[in-house]
Amino acid sequence: MSDLDRTLNTRRLVGSLLLVAVLALPGCAVKLVSSYDETTDKTVTALQKKTEAHLVALEAVEGLPECTFEKHKPFYEEARVDVSAIAVRAAAIPKNGITTEQTFLLSKSLESLEKLHKISCLSKDQIASLRTQFNSSFTAILKLELAKRRGE
Amino acid sequence: MSLSAAQVGKDILAAFKGALSEKWPDIKEYGEAEAKKLAQTLVMIAALRASGKINEEQATLHVEIQKNATRTVLLTLEGLGILAVEAAINAALNVVKDAVNTAVGFALL
Repeated sequence: MSDLDRTLNTRRLVGSLLLVAVLALPGCAVKLVSSYDETTDKTVTALQKKTEAHLVALEAVEGLPECTFEKHKPFYEEARVDVSAIAVRAAAIPKNGITTEQTFLLSKSLESLEKLHKISCLSKDQIASLRTQFNSSFTAILKLELAKRRGE
Repeated sequence: MSLSAAQVGKDILAAFKGALSEKWPDIKEYGEAEAKKLAQTLVMIAALRASGKINEEQATLHVEIQKNATRTVLLTLEGLGILAVEAAINAALNVVKDAVNTAVGFALL
């Protein structure tokens, strides 16, 4: 074995040991993603229910004077507060960047929904599409949060 | 010209597979379902615009929401991949734990 090979092998060994030391504190498992957060689970689930109830309510008043944005303004105000609280909590949890980004995207989607409703009442076709999109978002956030339980 | 949901779905699926090739076997089921939903939504938005039921601004907002939903799904796939890597590292460390701790003389792992 040449001196160069020996040097490279030593460096690899030192590198591996350093990696292990960095990744694993004594007696602790490596954690690359935050732990499961019950509050995030519950608040995201609650916001999903609230959003679904809003869409159901909009379907019921399609074509009626009650379909206007002004009549449903409280939902948007509450949803803005809810998603902000979820995002702030997510950002405060270490190694929780993915969930934080997802809640940011959810807040942007709620903003877009509000803009759509301000333009005009939503038709059943539009509501069907929106329901699919929001449920995809909520399911994805919850799927990751539940996976963070790591089989516990 | 009207859009075909099946064709759009195939194209999206091909793009998903290309971007997530290594993880594809693990996320296939979820990825296929999301590709189908994305295609159906895009076709619906195009149809609503073509029939004059929504204007350009409304179509753009619908697509924004769809893009956010797709990004959210892809982020979950990324997170599930990281959790799988984490589990693999911990399993590997667990296998060598006793030998390493004995060799260094203290509970390093």
